Amino acid sequence: MLLAGGNADDNSSPLRRVMADRVSTGSVILKFLRRLGVSLLSVGLAFALTMLLQPLFPYPFLFLFFGAVMASAWFGGTAGGLLAVLLSTIIVDYFFVPPVHSFSISTTAEAYLFAFVACALAASWISSAKKKSEVALQEALDNLEVRVSERSAELFKTQTELAHLSQVLSMGELTASIAHEINQPLTAVVTHGHACLEWLSADPPNLDKTRQTIERIILDGTRAGATISRVRALFKKEAPVKDWLDVNEVVHELTIFLRDEAIRRGILVQTDLVPGLPKIKADRVQLQQVLLNLIMNGMDAMDDVANHRKELVISARVEDANLVVRVVDSGKGLDGQTAEKIFTPFFTTKPHGIGLGLSLSRSIVEAHEGRLWASPRASGGTSFQFTLPIHPRDSDG
Amino acid sequence: MAETRETIFVVDDDPSVRDAISNLLESVGMRAKVFASTEAFWKAPRPDGPSCLVLDVRLPGASGLEFQEMLIKKKVSIPIIFVTAHGDVPMTSRAMKAGAIEFLMKPFQKDELLMAVRHGLDRDRIRREQEAELSALKVKIGQLSDREREVMDLVVTGLINKEIGAKLGLSEVTIKIYRSRVMQKMEAASLADLVRMADRLNPRA
Ligand SMILES: Nc1ncnc2c1ncn2[C@@H]1O[C@H](COP(=O)(O)OP(=O)(O)OP(=O)(O)O)[C@@H](O)[C@H]1O
Ligand SMILES: [Mg+2]
Repeated sequence: MLLAGGNADDNSSPLRRVMADRVSTGSVILKFLRRLGVSLLSVGLAFALTMLLQPLFPYPFLFLFFGAVMASAWFGGTAGGLLAVLLSTIIVDYFFVPPVHSFSISTTAEAYLFAFVACALAASWISSAKKKSEVALQEALDNLEVRVSERSAELFKTQTELAHLSQVLSMGELTASIAHEINQPLTAVVTHGHACLEWLSADPPNLDKTRQTIERIILDGTRAGATISRVRALFKKEAPVKDWLDVNEVVHELTIFLRDEAIRRGILVQTDLVPGLPKIKADRVQLQQVLLNLIMNGMDAMDDVANHRKELVISARVEDANLVVRVVDSGKGLDGQTAEKIFTPFFTTKPHGIGLGLSLSRSIVEAHEGRLWASPRASGGTSFQFTLPIHPRDSDG
Repeated sequence: MAETRETIFVVDDDPSVRDAISNLLESVGMRAKVFASTEAFWKAPRPDGPSCLVLDVRLPGASGLEFQEMLIKKKVSIPIIFVTAHGDVPMTSRAMKAGAIEFLMKPFQKDELLMAVRHGLDRDRIRREQEAELSALKVKIGQLSDREREVMDLVVTGLINKEIGAKLGLSEVTIKIYRSRVMQKMEAASLADLVRMADRLNPRA
């Protein structure tokens, strides 16, 4: 199906998979053994070297143990570091703190041993913290890559679908406008992506800016997705789903959507709406279709008119028991002969027209118990209007 | 010289795009100021210092190209880099003929934008230096007396002291004194230097 799937919020699953891989039980035990091994090895090495070097110095030579602690913390994490601290403390107590070859400690040596332990703990903490931040940075980078590629894939899909959509529906007039709507967030995503790489390759990497930038990328990507679903809603052909609608709102949404198209064609689109119009029961998408057809026709009618103010006014008023919506253009107008045929299916005077816009619109309006007709304007141009009956609302719903 | 930081002005009606451009410029250490419309940019104070303008072509109200023409008419020279989603050939060539630095298609790559921006800033910096030089020259020439000015005008046409003396009805020695005073006040190192200055001050002559 066209434009199916693509839930914009479901972006966490690949990340969770990555996390799950990290914490399988077998690897936990293996990891613990590896840490133990690293700590034993490095402390043992430090001990052996210290025994070798000790005769050269008149005072206890304990610095190598700090190296062992740091190495253990780096490769074995906090647990590895603490294990190394414990092992070193035992060895230092037994072999180097007087009385030597005993675990008892003389009162004078108490402070010395305490200082050693404190320094060893500090070394372990610094080393494991440094390692952790490095791992975190790497993780942030990995996540970023996953997210950016996901977003790009989504946008690419969106673009292809859009190309397809415009072919199927031959809405050549709208392609430029829709493409523009998608190209904007796409441009923002690409530009933010470049900025993100810059923030990350700074020294030190600016993680705050990186995070902010990724958040923008997510917003812009989501926005592109929202544009697509709006377009999709606009062209979807389904059984009417009648709802209580605010016509002002529908008109307003459409004018936003058509803004770029109007600018491109040098047309001023104006709305003449009064606040607080009664809501009517109608199918939103079908009502949008009617309005869109009338507006596009009005724009087309003004295309070949030179030296003229190109103005399109959309108004909505209550008249008797009806809501009357008018789309008034200052275009080339309708001559008598044409006026008779415009509601016939497949009648068109346009090279790329299908001739279905007005007949479809009329059938939609009639399905809503209203009427659609055209009348010439004295000042040139045409006014298309349709009515929608106002039903009293018995209950809210 | 006082600290004159470079500023890049960005005008785009789409908030996502202008934020993204300013984020990218900021990430490479440049200063960007963003505006939603050309009117807002026009009204805002522009700091003195090298600058350039990244301008969207399609804008509500006056288009980017129309704004370029208005700037030219008002004699505001700021290098312009256009960005657009749909650049057709006539539009591009019109903008480039009017002196635009670059015409970028959305979405553009980092290097395309940064190269254009650096080019624009360089061009603006050179223009500012030349203008500063010119106004310094104007100050110097304003300090010459009428006579000294007369002598200078004749000296730079290549006449020798004797001929100038004859023209002005003064002795050769007097001209020599005026001439050295002119050289001193204009801070000219040589006759060639003085001729260059005269050219800068009066390019058509
Ligand atoms: N506002 C208008 N001013 C002048 N002529 C109009 C106007 N609206 C419609 N027409 C005429 O009515 C004809 C039929 O319009 P209709 O919307 O049914 O089909 P179309 O616009 O030609 O093609 P499409 O199926 O793409 O809408 C048009 O070809 C045009 O000649
Ligand atoms: Mg039509």
